[in-house]
Amino acid sequence: MRKIVLSSIVIALLVFSGCSSKKPAVDELSEQQKVVKVEEVPAVVTETVADSSASVVANTDSTETIMANLEKEMLSVYFDFDKFDIRADMKDKVSSDAQLAKGAAGNFMIKLEGNCDEWGSDEYNFALGLKRANAVKNALVAEGVEENRVTMVSYGESNQVCTDKTKECWSKNRRVDFKLLP
Amino acid sequence: MKVVVILFMLFSLSFGSDATIEVIKKIESLPALAVEDASISYDDTFKMKFFKALVSDLNVLSLFNVERKYNTTKFDAGDVVIENKNMQYVLRYKLFEDDNGALNVELKLFKDNATVLVKNYKISANNVYMFVSHAIAYDINEFMGAPSVEWMKKKVIFSRMVDSKKSEIVISDYTLEYQHVVVKGGFNIFPKWANKQQDAFYYTSLDSTQPTLKKVDVASAKVISIISSDGMLVCSDVSDDSKKLLLTMAPKGQPDIYLYDIEAKTYKRITTYAGIDVNGQFMNDNKIAFISNRLGHPNVFSKVIDSNTVEQMVYYGNSNSSCSSHGEYLVYKARESSNAFSANTFNLHLISTKTDFIRRLTATGNNEFPRFSKDGDAILFVKNYKEQSSIGIIRLLHNKNYLFPLKYGKIQAIDW
Repeated sequence: MRKIVLSSIVIALLVFSGCSSKKPAVDELSEQQKVVKVEEVPAVVTETVADSSASVVANTDSTETIMANLEKEMLSVYFDFDKFDIRADMKDKVSSDAQLAKGAAGNFMIKLEGNCDEWGSDEYNFALGLKRANAVKNALVAEGVEENRVTMVSYGESNQVCTDKTKECWSKNRRVDFKLLP
Repeated sequence: MKVVVILFMLFSLSFGSDATIEVIKKIESLPALAVEDASISYDDTFKMKFFKALVSDLNVLSLFNVERKYNTTKFDAGDVVIENKNMQYVLRYKLFEDDNGALNVELKLFKDNATVLVKNYKISANNVYMFVSHAIAYDINEFMGAPSVEWMKKKVIFSRMVDSKKSEIVISDYTLEYQHVVVKGGFNIFPKWANKQQDAFYYTSLDSTQPTLKKVDVASAKVISIISSDGMLVCSDVSDDSKKLLLTMAPKGQPDIYLYDIEAKTYKRITTYAGIDVNGQFMNDNKIAFISNRLGHPNVFSKVIDSNTVEQMVYYGNSNSSCSSHGEYLVYKARESSNAFSANTFNLHLISTKTDFIRRLTATGNNEFPRFSKDGDAILFVKNYKEQSSIGIIRLLHNKNYLFPLKYGKIQAIDW
């Protein structure tokens, strides 16, 4: 079932029930000056809505299945700590991914998702994830994948596949995953 | 010998305007302050909550040696409670609920048993009591003539991971006691206040095909998209006049710092190194500070906008991966061990562009997300230590750190 996720922003209800004002304020009584304003903030909610075209599924379903199966065949590429160059032992994986990208997955866009371990939760980590994705992209392009078929995104440390605090776990998180887009 | 020490202290204090120099104050030298509760409404749980919040705020002022013992009295009682007879200051308050359900606070400050300050406060609901507590502390600080703690009344905005690729953005007070989720659902990160008034904020949405910077007007909840970039996009800093942004973008897979002009809707690339350049921060004199791996590991550098010279700012630490600036001052996070997998310690350090001093601000645990208050008086940070996450406040002038435990969730980014 294909669902298109529409992100729409709606104004949510105020937290304070029975509060007529949007901005409850700490008011000092007459003899004092103004003290503090507590602005109550309407929540911005990202809604997930099933698109009406979701009922047209016959073809999409099979394409989705093909994509899902291909994604399973594409091998994640792992990296060393604080590094974004492709390790020697990962080169075969990248080549096999490139063959798939040129062959069976030739009709799809490729999205590379860069990820990092938990050591560092700042912008630098996102940049590191991106440089990893970019290294894989360059390797794919070098093996003949068209550059304009590859997009990238970095998730920093916020998309971990393993959350234990072990060496093995951290190394599993320093990776680039493959996703296919129609 | 004593004379020499006193002379030295006087000398140090007279040059104490440099925040990279530690000011050591003895706790005994602070005046004692006790707090008395004269509330007539609300249950004991709420009364205790308010008392604790107030004691904690008064502590953060770093002006008093605050007595933690809870005493009750009548608001109009002429004398302070017997136990508080020797206290230099006594703060007495009365909480009461009016007919509209609003929380009212009457307040008296005694100095040597004489009333020196009277104030009243009112807030529409009692679940935002912590803002009254912050306002009281702010007023006491003003009364004492200490440098402003304006930041105490500011709001903090942070993003919290709730699941893999799922996050929410929360607005809170500086102790994170009050929390209100403003953006939920989806994968939205790196929130940043858009101006000093805190009536709008930016954040990065990772839900669209490309990372997109969005701006939310807090009052109307209206959201507009500002700019998108392949790979990554973060709003790292907002200029003092709120008209320019420092963004990290990677239109061609190459993370660099860009200067974005809000009114003209134009941007220009500031850094061009082939590695990683991120975390741009506005500094004095048309300068920016940023994090770069141009020496093989992340470190802090600076650059005058439109010039080609890059200056290394920090010569200490194996990996300095984030920074925050205020005028000539920079606070940065340093990894203290070179082992990739030891129990890692990350400490915060303060430097100035005008001196060579480095002041270490934290000593244990994993300290991250340093953020200067707008007035430079305090630094907000997150501390992870022995499975406990806390929000920390560093009072630079007083050389003190205060921690407030976090309720739940892993903070992704924070701003105030």
